[in-house]
Amino acid sequence: MPTKKKILGAAAASLMAVTMLTTSIVADEPYEGYQYDWWGDPVPSQTGYMVDRVVDGIDLGEGTRYNSNEQLQAISDQVGETVEKVTDVGAMLDPMDLFIDTETEKLYIVDSGNDRIIITDTDLSPNVTIMDYFYNPETGQYETLNGPRGIFVFHDSDAEDQNEETKIYIADYENGRVLAVYEDGTIFQQYTKPSSEFYDDEVTFQPNKVVVDVAGNVYVNIKSITDGAVMFAPDGTFSSYYGANRVEQTAQAIANKFWKTILDREAAQNFIQNVPMEFSNFDIDKEGFIYTVTESKSATTDVFKKLNPAGENVFIKLGYSELIFGDMATYYYQNANYGSRISDVDVDEDGVIRLLDYRNGRIFEYTDECDLLFIYGGTGNQKGLFNTPSAVEAYQNIVYVLDQRKSSITTFKRTEFGDIVHEAMDLYTDGKYEEARGPWNEVLARDSNYWFAYIGLGNAEMSQGNYETAMDYFYMNSRGGYNRAFKQFRMQFVRDNFNWFIIIIVAVIVVIVALKMVYKKLKKKKAGGTQ
Amino acid sequence: MRFDLDMPAWKWPFYVARHPFEGFEDLRWKKAYNMKVALVIVFCFFIVTVCQTVMTGFLYNNNYVKIFNIVPLFTSTIIMFFTWVVGNWSLCTLFDGEGKMKEICVVSAYALVPYLITQVVVILASNVLLRNESAFIVFMQYFGIVWSVVLMISAIKTVHQYTVPKTIAAIVFTVFAMVIILFILVLLMSLFQQVYVFGYSIYTELMYRFSM
Repeated sequence: MPTKKKILGAAAASLMAVTMLTTSIVADEPYEGYQYDWWGDPVPSQTGYMVDRVVDGIDLGEGTRYNSNEQLQAISDQVGETVEKVTDVGAMLDPMDLFIDTETEKLYIVDSGNDRIIITDTDLSPNVTIMDYFYNPETGQYETLNGPRGIFVFHDSDAEDQNEETKIYIADYENGRVLAVYEDGTIFQQYTKPSSEFYDDEVTFQPNKVVVDVAGNVYVNIKSITDGAVMFAPDGTFSSYYGANRVEQTAQAIANKFWKTILDREAAQNFIQNVPMEFSNFDIDKEGFIYTVTESKSATTDVFKKLNPAGENVFIKLGYSELIFGDMATYYYQNANYGSRISDVDVDEDGVIRLLDYRNGRIFEYTDECDLLFIYGGTGNQKGLFNTPSAVEAYQNIVYVLDQRKSSITTFKRTEFGDIVHEAMDLYTDGKYEEARGPWNEVLARDSNYWFAYIGLGNAEMSQGNYETAMDYFYMNSRGGYNRAFKQFRMQFVRDNFNWFIIIIVAVIVVIVALKMVYKKLKKKKAGGTQ
Repeated sequence: MRFDLDMPAWKWPFYVARHPFEGFEDLRWKKAYNMKVALVIVFCFFIVTVCQTVMTGFLYNNNYVKIFNIVPLFTSTIIMFFTWVVGNWSLCTLFDGEGKMKEICVVSAYALVPYLITQVVVILASNVLLRNESAFIVFMQYFGIVWSVVLMISAIKTVHQYTVPKTIAAIVFTVFAMVIILFILVLLMSLFQQVYVFGYSIYTELMYRFSM
């Protein structure tokens, strides 16, 4: 017997050693995956993404200027020193924006501190093109950028030749313009401060980010304007403001509203005006919806919104604007606020939304219905953690995060768990609840805290007509789902037990009537007895 | 009198609930203050609040019941009720109210009855109603609260023999009095805690000295 015990003990010990070994191999992310439960409390969860590569400017090796040799000669003459065709990319300085052109699989990096655009591909291979001198056909001169902050690439299918098909829009911050260039760097349009009566002369025009819609309208995000993005028609004229945030309903704002109703218009004008927070970044999806994020310490209104072409927030109607994006709770530590500050948004080709929290260096991944999928990243010096992340982009399950202070791009690739969740999610959003059952069960086997799997399974049960099981799945996971399941369950229950309902009601009435009669008789007897 | 007022003590709360205006006058006239019934009602108030937290249907339950903690529920019902009684008594004795502490306690408890009954109905209904049928639940909730508030005003008015404006002023100032009472209680508690810590540190210091 003791030998058997010993063997068992040894087996258990070796098993434990193996599991410890495997966990130490698997858990090499410098951050811990977590999710939020029904109560809004963080619970540990599997990570959906793991760090793949960290690439900085030096890793990119040599870059080629896109300018032709004749152009370079002209540039050298203009600048007064030789501008080489091939140079080292070298370290980036304060890179501010990333853009992935899905058609050509090119990755654009805005290297703000060095006033240039670095173009590589989605593999971050050292096949690099550099844009820093732009030919202006009107003056015949070559122009440079000054602290560019945003970039957008737009493919115009109606263009006459191949060069003009690709239009690159650069938010040239310090120069106060949005530069629109063709692929060969020829400037074809400049969007500068509008001389419109709607645009206040005292307000500066320093483009922060830029987005272009299918019709060629240019939307410029400017930090000093709270009325929304400045929208230009394709021909460069100012058309309107687009998609302002709502005013945050603070006590101050409500008090001001009260005074405005009492005071006459002129007096109210002199009163403090309620100004909404300006949004800080935006992105556009395939269907032309523009997503904006507002980065603020205190704002909770319109932190993240989805705008239709008319500039209305479609999340308000869907009830998503009431949700909290980023971390649920804000906490204070040593006089600093560690609440999420969402500074960038990316919507990928599948409609998956990624929000970048630059305060805590985290990426929050949501479905197109604002259901939280994964949280990853963090602040620190390790690989996969960030100092000041400035932009996020995703393409084909790889997430690229640009760190401004570290001057590097970190790529994340999906884990097996992430793949299963996305597989289940794709089936789920297509309405194939039954087919999604397998992947969801797999998700739950790996992580029982993953709340969305319960909703998926609940919907699968609903589609099978098992309303009571569906209710169990939806309980403490989805109020809407529970409501739907309960409605069916209640209807079925009443239908099945209708006879019992009638019997009980009739029985109650009979008993009440009988008791009343007995009571009356007793009273009469009592009254008769006393008289 | 239209009604036979020689009823058992447990019937009085329902009688005053049905007669918000003359009910408390009758109660006062009959001197039918019953402390036992009042205490049962206050206890029911506590029980109903616990049930409301735990047993409200999932579709209507917004309470944080992940970790069930009975202390805040106890504080927000029983302690609140007695603070109300003490606050009201200490205020109204200064402003020629005629009510004694016991009378205030009894009538305040009786005034809670409609709220409790509607709460029970709401808890039951929340388990069988859907989200889009919430109108009934909201109506019941407000109905119970308004009825109890009307009863409470009537009760305080009668027990102190006040006019209506004076009653409302008394209620408002009672709330202030409650805040002050609770504030002083918290202050006292932290003070005693400090005294305890002080004593304990002297004790440990002495122990170190002697053990050297």
